[in-house]
Amino acid sequence: MLLSTLVFGVVLGGTYALVALGLTIQYGVARIMNLSFGEVVMFGAFATFVLFTGASLSPVLGLFVVVPLAFAISWILYTVLMRPLVKRARHPERVEIDSILVTFGLLFLFQGLFTQAFGSGYTGYGWLQAPVEILGARVASGRVLGLGLACLIGLGLWAATTRTRWGLTMRAVATRPAFAALVGIDENRVARQAFALGGAIAGAGGAILSMYQPVTPIDGGFLTMKALVIVIMGGIGNMGGALAAGLIIGIVEALVSYAVDPGLTLAATYAIFLAVLLWRPKGLFA
Amino acid sequence: MFEARSISVRYGKHLALDDVSLEVGTSECVAILGANGAGKSSLLRGLTQAGLRERGGVIRHRGEDISATNDFDLVEKGIALVPEGRGVFAELTVDDNLSLGAHPKRARESASERRAEVLDLFPKLGQRLAQTVGTMSGGEQQMVAVARALMSRPTLLLLDEPSLGLAPIVVDEMFAALHKVRDSGVSILIVEQNVRASLALAARGYVLEAGRIVGRGSSAELVADPMVAKAFLGH
Repeated sequence: MLLSTLVFGVVLGGTYALVALGLTIQYGVARIMNLSFGEVVMFGAFATFVLFTGASLSPVLGLFVVVPLAFAISWILYTVLMRPLVKRARHPERVEIDSILVTFGLLFLFQGLFTQAFGSGYTGYGWLQAPVEILGARVASGRVLGLGLACLIGLGLWAATTRTRWGLTMRAVATRPAFAALVGIDENRVARQAFALGGAIAGAGGAILSMYQPVTPIDGGFLTMKALVIVIMGGIGNMGGALAAGLIIGIVEALVSYAVDPGLTLAATYAIFLAVLLWRPKGLFA
Repeated sequence: MFEARSISVRYGKHLALDDVSLEVGTSECVAILGANGAGKSSLLRGLTQAGLRERGGVIRHRGEDISATNDFDLVEKGIALVPEGRGVFAELTVDDNLSLGAHPKRARESASERRAEVLDLFPKLGQRLAQTVGTMSGGEQQMVAVARALMSRPTLLLLDEPSLGLAPIVVDEMFAALHKVRDSGVSILIVEQNVRASLALAARGYVLEAGRIVGRGSSAELVADPMVAKAFLGH
């Protein structure tokens, strides 16, 4: 049982890490603290559900619909809501406060819409539940596939940011936004792209999550908080750090839920977060 | 080739740059002389940031009116700025900084040739390509800044105090490189506190005082000018 708990934790942690990557790109490059980030994850989960039950589209193929949609939604959110805040702000700190307030409002708007459409109970679908055996533990194949997809997307993202010119411009804006113009980079354009990309990753994370567990409309807020904890634990903008922190949180949640009480998983997450803040406020790997 | 007409910059009520006009010819190097607070940095900001200029200013480069061009599009027009404080991406490597210098479309195709040229100009950087720029000395960072600007294949290089805070021997090295850049045909507008070195590099100069141009002339005339000698050369 302990072993299968560990495997569960790694699967959960893989999704958390992916979702946190999206948040760290939005915050690190676009400098928007997006509290409605988890709602885009939920959008990914609900949209995958609708495509699966309504159009019997496989959740994996659904990714090709859900991810572009999440990208577009985030692109529009940045252009319509965030850009005016960035434009009018005299200091970068101002953007942070304003964007927190606006996205906090958005969180409730999205939550309301989801509840209206899907009800406040669990929404899910049965898919790939046949178990496979990993290291002696029996795990639903949907979970394994989810982990594989999260790894694949994360790997692609890592390759894109470290190996391509586009990734280099992202890193330039993330580290020294004020100097981007010197090399002909339009900071606003890159920020918008990063915000939309972060949203696309959130959508993918939601789709993957829905492949192995049902969701409720209020899960988005918790996911945002967990992603935030992971981003801060891993160090802001540190992709490897987010991966490690995501796995730690996933494994700890699975262990606590197995050995102590399922109701205490969130408490355990925050206990770790508190310890990290006290011991390593700049992240585990700073 | 490059000409600016009636450029004014105002910070609140303070007029930092008052109706300044200047020009730089093809393959020409021009120096801006001025004491601290004369408006030298405001001048470069006024030339590169459309949003900062008062209305009425006009800037033309190679026959094109670029008065309304965004700062990030200037590089694409052939104008590369090395700002005060260098403006390098300190967290990235030398290699990344050079690659970013070739980010503008005009420079992408010839990037590898440009890289060979700038590494020839600053051989030290060739051995340090993988080093994070923030861990380098001030002189080396300045070399990265100039090299990055040259990677964009500029027709005009704007330099803001390239020798600020550098050891004398490094300053000599920097100016030796700038002489080569000038001789390669790139126009240069240089703002410098090191008047002797910048007049040796430049063919002409303008004297800036309290935000206005109060004198101009060939480098030989300016060196011989008693006012310039007294104010900047210490004799």
